[in-house]
This record gives sequence, C-alpha cells and structure tokens, in this order.
Amino acid sequence: MPKAAIEPIVGRYVSVPILGEDCRIYFEQAGEGIPLLCLHTAGADSRQFRHLLCDEAVTRDYRVIAFDLPWHGKSYPPAGWQAYEYRLTAQRYVATIRAMCAALDLDRPVLMGCSIGGRIVLQLAHAHGEEFRALIGLEAADYQQPWYDTGWLHRGDVHGGEVCAALVSGLVAPQSPDEHRHETLWQYMQGGPGVFKGDLYFYRVDADLRGKLAGIDTARCPLYLLTGEYDFSCTPEDTMRTAAGIAGAKLTIMKDVGHFPMSENPAQFRRYILPVLDEIRQAGR
Amino acid sequence: MHAAAPSPEAEQTLCTRFLRSIPERVNAHPHLVWRGRTLRADCLVQIGSAAFLLRIDGGSVRECRTELPLLCSWDFAVRGSLQAWTALWQDPPPPGWHDLLALSKRGEMSFEGKLQPLFAHLQYFKDVLTLPRNGGG
Repeated sequence: MPKAAIEPIVGRYVSVPILGEDCRIYFEQAGEGIPLLCLHTAGADSRQFRHLLCDEAVTRDYRVIAFDLPWHGKSYPPAGWQAYEYRLTAQRYVATIRAMCAALDLDRPVLMGCSIGGRIVLQLAHAHGEEFRALIGLEAADYQQPWYDTGWLHRGDVHGGEVCAALVSGLVAPQSPDEHRHETLWQYMQGGPGVFKGDLYFYRVDADLRGKLAGIDTARCPLYLLTGEYDFSCTPEDTMRTAAGIAGAKLTIMKDVGHFPMSENPAQFRRYILPVLDEIRQAGR
Repeated sequence: MHAAAPSPEAEQTLCTRFLRSIPERVNAHPHLVWRGRTLRADCLVQIGSAAFLLRIDGGSVRECRTELPLLCSWDFAVRGSLQAWTALWQDPPPPGWHDLLALSKRGEMSFEGKLQPLFAHLQYFKDVLTLPRNGGG
C-alpha cells in the first residue's frame, strides 16, 4: 500500500479578543522563518492559500500563516451572532489582523491579502505600516466600481452558495485549471448565509480609500501590488491608479490570472510571488 | 486589451453560432439539464439587433424561436452588443470581455425583466450562453 501523502500544513485554534468579544479563530501554518500572514478574499476562507503553504520554495524561508476570519471557514462567529446582521467594518478587520499578530507573537510580519484582504493591506500601510516588514496587496485598489447588487447574495428565493459562486466564477481566468477553478468556487458555495454580503459591506461602504492613502511610507514598509489581468472586479486599471498615487509602490499585472491568483492558478501565481518574497527576504529588514 | 470590432456580417455569423450551439448542445448535456431542473423561464437573448426566445423547461431548451411576434413577452432578457458576443465566444476571450457580468460592467450587455430565475440559475445561464465558445460553428 503506498504511503499516504501528508501535507506539512498544521491547523490550530486560538482565541483572541476582537472589539471586546472572544473569537475562536482557526489558522493553518507551515514553514519557518519570516512570518507571512495571509488574508483570504471576501466570502471564502484560508484554504485559498493551501498551495502556498505547501510550497517549499516559500516555507524554507517563511513561516506562512493563513487564518479564517470569524464567520468564515472553521472560525465560528462570536457568541450572540444570531441576533444581528453580519457586517465587516474596517475597524473590525484591522482589529482582527492586529489581534492575530499579537496572539501569535508575530514580529513585524509580512502581510499579504487578496481582494478585501488587499484593500485592508492599503489601510494598514496607511495607518500601521511600522508594524509590518512588507505589505503585499493582491487584487488591491483604493476603490472599485460595483458590478451587481449585493442583495442577490442573501435572500430566500436564491440559493446563497450557488449565487455567490456563480457571481465570482467570472473572476477566475479562463486559463485557470478546471480543478483549481472549481475548488475556488466550492469555497464560495460553502460560505455561511449573508457572510459574503457582510464582507462586501467593508468593500463597498466602509473602506473607500480614494484620497486617503497619502503618507504611506514605502521606504519604511515596502508595498507590492499584484493584480490579475482577468480580474474585472478589481481591474488592472484600478490597481494601476492606486499604485500611481503611492510613491514607491511596486506594481505587477499578472497574465492569465483573475481575482484569486493563489487559489485558481497556483503555478502561475508562484511565478509572480516568489520574486517578491525573495526581494523581501533579501532586504533583511 | 480591447476586443476586435465586429465586421458588418458579424451579426449573422454570431446568430448562426448561437443557433448551432445552444439548443442542441444544452439538450445533449444531461448534467447541464439536471442543473437547470428547477428552472422554467422564457429568456430573450439579443445579439446586436437579432432576438431569440429560449423557452426553458426543467433545464431543457423546449423551443428556440427566431422570428418573434411584436410585443412578445418574456421573463427576462439578456442583451449584448455584437462586440460583446464576439469577444465572449473567443477562445480564450480577452480580459474584461470573458464573462456576462464583466460585459455588463463595461456596458456591453444588459439584463432586464424578472431577474430572480436568472440569478437563481446564474451558473447554468453562464454555461449555456458560453457554449458557442467551444465549437458550434
């Protein structure tokens, strides 16, 4: 009988206070070295980073950590969640990330976030840049034009999981392998009711960063922005506009990739992210 | 990247691709039909100035009407420019022209009418309306 292929990923739980509430958060990690904290997209979970967590070219120099936001994946909502509508706010998002950094005793980690994770990376670059060794925004922009009414994501006569996945399916590049495309969509099919919609409150209402990113010091904390050419939600033009307003921001447009680079096409993504991680490591800050 | 501008005969070519691809290939695809099993809707599809009425029942295309009566009624309509359908059906399609919602965002496609059946079966419709990308003349 062939030996089972056990992956190097280790999953654990940690309880952290966020805005006065105890939250039990699930996280996965692999590797040793510079801490690299990864933030999943809206309505999804940390499984998006499973390929990065198993990539020896990354984990030989980095301790890669990915966690599920409360309400997502294997992280429950805080007690009492059933009594109100979930809405992710910029304040809650920043508090969650900083609480995780403190709980895991991360010393100036590299922070990499995708989509809403990319947006909060910009917010953190502005407000808390000194706490991070480098910041990486995937599919990140200060603002992007909405392209549907989020009311469709949570209503009684439309299946939430199916419509969430169907809406974002067009954000996966046509070139992405079928296996990874459908694994990415499965995450959206598994989201809790109203969670994707609640995340988009942050994206659409509470975190319009246009005109608010002055003062980002990329000499103190380098900022990398990478966006897939097939992302029509956060378009390459959105990221280019954002990068043009931040002196020293390093911009890459990724070919044959959409909104979920690390999940939809891990082989293509590593071609772009490995040089970034090498540059951060060699800077030795 | 921009999609190539359609030539004058593009509408007829696109209509031919639509007719050759969609009704027959939907009905020959048991899993696609199964995915639409709870759907019953009359869907108007417009390609430039040409309109088709797809009568879908239980995921199968029961009828595809090409010459529509005046004041024809339907549940919802998907209307796209010639450039939209041309780009959507390229393999691979150019970035930003590769999905119904991408085309809607850029103003090259619109959805009208009673949209609940469309959103309740959104991936089904995306897959049906993208069939001409892979063959179909």
